[in-house]
Amino acid sequence: MDALEAAAAVVWPARFAAAVPYLMLAPAVLLVGLLVIGLAYIGDTSLRTLDTSTFLLSDDYTLANYRRALSESLFRTVAARSLQASLIVTAVTLLLAFPYAYLMVRTPSAALRKLLLIALFLPFFIGQVVRAYGWLIILGNQGMVNDALSLVGVAPLRLLYNYPSVLFGLIQYMLPFAVLMLAPALTAIPEELEAAAHSLGANWLRAFWHVVLPLARPGLVGAGLVVLTLTLTDFAMPAILGGGSQDFIANAIYDQFFRTSDQGLGATLALLLVAAGSLLVGLVLYLFGAGTLAMGRRR
Amino acid sequence: MKGQKFDSTVVLRRTFLKGAAAFGGAAALRVPHAFAQEPAKPAEIIVRAWGGSWVDSLKAGVSDPFTAKTGVAVRHDLTEDNEIQPKVWAAVAQGRVPPIHINWDTTTNATKSALRGVTEDLSDLANLKNTTDLAKPVGLDGYPIVNTYGYVYVLAFRPEAFPDGPPKSWKDLLDPKFKGRIAFYNDGIGFHFPAQVAGGGKLEDIPGNMQPAWDFIAKMKEQQPLLGEDPDFTAWFQRGEIDAACTISTNAREAKKNGVNIDWVVPAEGAKFDTDGLWIPKGLPENELYWAKEYINFALTKEAQQVWLDGLGLPGVVPGVNPPADLADDPSYPTSEEDFKNLIRISSKVQVENESEWFSKFKSIMQG
Repeated sequence: MDALEAAAAVVWPARFAAAVPYLMLAPAVLLVGLLVIGLAYIGDTSLRTLDTSTFLLSDDYTLANYRRALSESLFRTVAARSLQASLIVTAVTLLLAFPYAYLMVRTPSAALRKLLLIALFLPFFIGQVVRAYGWLIILGNQGMVNDALSLVGVAPLRLLYNYPSVLFGLIQYMLPFAVLMLAPALTAIPEELEAAAHSLGANWLRAFWHVVLPLARPGLVGAGLVVLTLTLTDFAMPAILGGGSQDFIANAIYDQFFRTSDQGLGATLALLLVAAGSLLVGLVLYLFGAGTLAMGRRR
Repeated sequence: MKGQKFDSTVVLRRTFLKGAAAFGGAAALRVPHAFAQEPAKPAEIIVRAWGGSWVDSLKAGVSDPFTAKTGVAVRHDLTEDNEIQPKVWAAVAQGRVPPIHINWDTTTNATKSALRGVTEDLSDLANLKNTTDLAKPVGLDGYPIVNTYGYVYVLAFRPEAFPDGPPKSWKDLLDPKFKGRIAFYNDGIGFHFPAQVAGGGKLEDIPGNMQPAWDFIAKMKEQQPLLGEDPDFTAWFQRGEIDAACTISTNAREAKKNGVNIDWVVPAEGAKFDTDGLWIPKGLPENELYWAKEYINFALTKEAQQVWLDGLGLPGVVPGVNPPADLADDPSYPTSEEDFKNLIRISSKVQVENESEWFSKFKSIMQG
């Protein structure tokens, strides 16, 4: 043991002890640094336009791609649709996830808790694309829902390839994320606090509104941020359940990179998406605090 | 054939037909070079391909016989053509060995790669001399791509949905009963040019004035069409989601083979005719480049084309290939001067230069 300690002292002398926290930060700094370098490259690409006679990007810098991205109705439409969807999906997912997480945390029945956990994790093991294709089978014109409706004489309904079906798919996909983010926050709220509120005359609703909900805020903020950003940048659900007419920004970026080979415009849209997402996250943090990201500290 | 740009894009149909007559019946399977003084054989060559019946046909007609003749294994990479393109471009730009040996690509996409200078010249392929003019990429020097067959974006339909007989015009899809029951490619490819005619415009005005096309597409948007890719069309027909679609005849034929009651027509306004081809990215080791060229050379033999294109149901570039029995006299399998009269072909150069704008305009209308 003495020999080991001596060797360790040679490799990492005691006077370096203060550097240990920084050393532990190094992997994260490296990772973020790589992302920043990547963003710098994307930024450089976004300032170059495509020459369709050579399919090379221009040598000169220009803001033409940004002008195009901000002025063309196609990009305004998909941006508005993405933003709207991210807000709707976040609100509905949190509404559905909260009672689910609350029941899962508070139920005295171990069997029910296990059932809720299994129901939560099962879809987690199935990727987003497979889940989306599952909905095609269930909601299609010849799918299970329309088959059931036909038994009572209802003609097949078009349940797919529209905006509501994309939102539905996203909410179903996001629900486990939200529940998993909310559950620890709800677990951290002592049941005794609710009991104390009841003993002081508060009914369930008042206790929930004045005690549980404020204390669950960190979980709500964390879950909201995750759902908001994942929805804003989603590609698969609009592509599969949208029938080609409900594109989000990510689909428009894909088109530029892979369909029209215009990497400059694709990079521009990607940077604008990063900016929009960062602004939204910043706004949420400003309005509601850092949630679970604050690690127990106030804002 | 409508819309030819005779300055740079002319498809010499007469020559094509003369060639077909001249070479018809000549067996002409000749593996060139006889692999004499051949370089070292790689363990495998990688050919990017489309999946489903597309790759099955290529495997049966070209890849398996090539392996049997040469001992060089062929692996098919089913990465989408649009997605492999930036990978190949990046590899060539960075001086790396590209991820594939051969790209089976649309001529329009391949032309972009050729203009970017990432394609090997294939002018020295021995079997090129046995091909029709369709094999030659128009508007490009030499053979940076070899076109291997042509195809038509037909109007495919379910006969039950058209009890009065097959549709005669693209305008028939504007019938309210088809609301939500029709489909197009999600970038509108295949439909821009017929829409120009159906909207009252002229093909000669492409690309300068395509407003008639956009007006017609805007009308079609009111029908709430589904928008997708090749596999979607077959799936949608099979699941009863759609009654009609503008799609490559191969997809409609595949759905028919799978038991779906489906037929197709070339409407009065015409249908887009285009080509696919094979090309080799720059940056391969010499021996691998040699065998990649041999693969393409083999794909240009009558023997390979017969099996490959029987599977796809498409007309090839080697004279004497017989159409599949189910496609004899079919408008999607043009073999005569008459067949080409109602097909629209616009030069790859014009398409490449304007495609981004057309896709964007189509998407703008459909996403609005």
